[in-house]
Amino acid sequence: MNFKQVLRANPYLFALLLLVVFVIMSAALQDNFFRLGVIGGNLRVFLPLMILAVGQTLVIIGGGIDLSLGTMVSLVNAILVTRIGADSSPPEIFLAILVGCGAGMLAGAVNGFCVAWLRLQPIVTTYATSFVFAGLALLILPRPGGALPRELTSLYRSTPLNIPFPVFIIVALLFVWWLLRSSRFGQYLYALGGNPEAAYTTGLAVTRLRFSVYVLSGLFAALAAVALTLGIGSGNPRIGEAMTLDSVVATVIGGTRLSGGQGGVVGTVLGVTILGLIRNIISFANVPTWYQTLVNAVVIVLALAAPGVVSLFRRRRV
Amino acid sequence: MLSARNVVKNYGAVQALTEGNLEVNAGEVVALLGANGSGKSTLSKIITGVVAPSRGELSLHGEAVTFVSPYAAKKKGITAVYQELSLVPDMTLAENIFLGHEPSILGQVKRRDMRKNAESLLGLFKEALSNNVTPDTPVSELSPSERQIVEILKALSLQPRMLILDEATASLDSKQVAKLFELVKGWKAQNMALIFVSHRMEEIFRIADRAVVLRNGKTVGNVPIKETSERELVKLMIGDVAAPQRDKTPMSSRGEARLKVGDLKTKTLEGVSLSVQAGELLGLGGLQGQGQEDVLLSLFGAIPASGHINFLGQAVHFKNPRQAMKQGIAYVPGDRGRQGLLMIRSILENLHLPSWLNYGFPIRQSRARKDALQAAQNLSLKMASLDAPVSSLSGGNAQKVVIGKWLLRQPKLLLLNDPTKGVDVGSKAEFYSLLESLQNSGTSIILYSSDDEELLGLCHRVLVLQDGHISAELQADTLTKEHLVAASMGGRT
Repeated sequence: MNFKQVLRANPYLFALLLLVVFVIMSAALQDNFFRLGVIGGNLRVFLPLMILAVGQTLVIIGGGIDLSLGTMVSLVNAILVTRIGADSSPPEIFLAILVGCGAGMLAGAVNGFCVAWLRLQPIVTTYATSFVFAGLALLILPRPGGALPRELTSLYRSTPLNIPFPVFIIVALLFVWWLLRSSRFGQYLYALGGNPEAAYTTGLAVTRLRFSVYVLSGLFAALAAVALTLGIGSGNPRIGEAMTLDSVVATVIGGTRLSGGQGGVVGTVLGVTILGLIRNIISFANVPTWYQTLVNAVVIVLALAAPGVVSLFRRRRV
Repeated sequence: MLSARNVVKNYGAVQALTEGNLEVNAGEVVALLGANGSGKSTLSKIITGVVAPSRGELSLHGEAVTFVSPYAAKKKGITAVYQELSLVPDMTLAENIFLGHEPSILGQVKRRDMRKNAESLLGLFKEALSNNVTPDTPVSELSPSERQIVEILKALSLQPRMLILDEATASLDSKQVAKLFELVKGWKAQNMALIFVSHRMEEIFRIADRAVVLRNGKTVGNVPIKETSERELVKLMIGDVAAPQRDKTPMSSRGEARLKVGDLKTKTLEGVSLSVQAGELLGLGGLQGQGQEDVLLSLFGAIPASGHINFLGQAVHFKNPRQAMKQGIAYVPGDRGRQGLLMIRSILENLHLPSWLNYGFPIRQSRARKDALQAAQNLSLKMASLDAPVSSLSGGNAQKVVIGKWLLRQPKLLLLNDPTKGVDVGSKAEFYSLLESLQNSGTSIILYSSDDEELLGLCHRVLVLQDGHISAELQADTLTKEHLVAASMGGRT
């Protein structure tokens, strides 16, 4: 196999390389970086975005994009903290999470309906619906607040078998991805993103497929909101807004092409970790935090420009 | 086995099909013929469930059926090999072949089985494929002809009882076509029914048992192949108009070369030299994908190339099509939908796209309109008005617009990339006389065509390309089908 084929089979190799670079940089800046407590702390912060970015990756592989995922997180966060109090019982909590997941899937279904049946542009549709979800979040929870039972937040901080709790979730996430990737649904998703017309003439249920991937990403947004709520222990109706762009950036860093039909979740998980480390480095180096936004924007522009730049160089060389 | 009776299809006010009749029996190959816009693709789409008929009946084994989607037709054993490729470039060959019907348990794809089945399907075309093609090869790495073969295998993997080959041979070379026909004979013996849609008469006579001819949305002929002739079929296709038969144009006298190319090299070309004089029509022939397109594109500055190009007595090196255009070179692409036309814009705008500069600012609309109208008349364009979108035109007429937009600039050198692929007989004849009048006015033309008859009938000289080399130069006595075919296949005569 030549280099090109290896890269095609493992599009996340570039992300892996970046990860190594940033891990080394982090370790240099932070002596206790490899301590279990620090790793656990970092992963707890990264996990919500990781779950969200998995949803984003599925949509992007299928040839779409979901710019409302961040506000869905806000919405579900608002629902969770208004339904759960500091003294809620386990059944109540369970019910609240179910309601949250239902809300996420419903929000995804709205996007899916517009994109799949009404055939609206994904980028415009989800940008528009993001304001709807943001508005609903503010309606449910007008100002930050709320509290969760102590047992719940300490579960998120626990380290069963001396392994940080988020590790189990990440492993579960990768397992779900493996199941999906090797299923027919996974095949169809890549086909849909790679060449929708071919998918249609091959007899795939294109409309249903498009719809279901948005519902799925809505579910992942809700799960991300659960993780986030457990992590911070309270609610904020605008908490998720910044996560939308981050989820796209992480997906792109992870080697998933924005035009669809290629990539995978393994790269996205690495991408989120890289983004998180960059954020840590920025705060350790005492650089103003708005640099983070700049970094995000530059990554997106580079990702969009990369294919063009590559072919420009090829042209020159004959 | 399957019959379609009095099938009608309306698209709004337009009747694509007014009376489609077709019958296919098991173990029979039926050729479906018709000029562009005659309704044959509509009819085959109705049979495969891609399009729903407005009226009429379909019956399968004597029972009335309606197909709501391609999937429904597939379940009944009817599959089509499409001309526009239905493959996903980023997926592997095996994934593409089994897309939609992967061997699986509990929703999980059995990859090993899929690869094995794909391997045995590939075995059918073993001799006709390059050696490095495996079930794991991404489709994006295959050549157009190999993709077409994958498309055929994809249809086969469904084990259909009826197969529709819609222009499936258009991008295959003669060796691959021979292989396909060999397989078709085997399928016939297994009682499969086949519908064969093609513009290549020679192939129809080689493989079909019966020919069904459509004209203006109506089935006008249903004849056994043994009892008919090429001339008769063409007559049925175009109606009472006599079949156009062009005489071979005599060689022009040797004049000064207008274009001289030496040692042209690109990724696929390995040193090509040629020259063209004023008013000459030079043909490029050979099997598909031997570098003919690269010759045209590099002369037009659209792809990077090295070598010496001397145009109008000056050494030139075009970095982009704009520079070539300024010098009076025009290129008519093969894929008119993608590279040649703005489908949703008007005919007027399309015709003037390269020449708006000549009309000042603000644009002198009435003069532009007058010129466009004149051009449309010269091309005998069949259109509702200059303001109608190009997408409303038939294939042949749309192709005229692509050429027309360059003619308004009066090019000194016209590069044509397979301009009559998928164009009906009538439009072809008009196109040929257009080329003739261009030559008479001194335009040099380089024509690449996948149609051998066309090259032989039109060109003064034909260069045959093979693997990026010129393998033969045919003119006068050697400009015959035998020599052309032999040179394409690499033989020396």
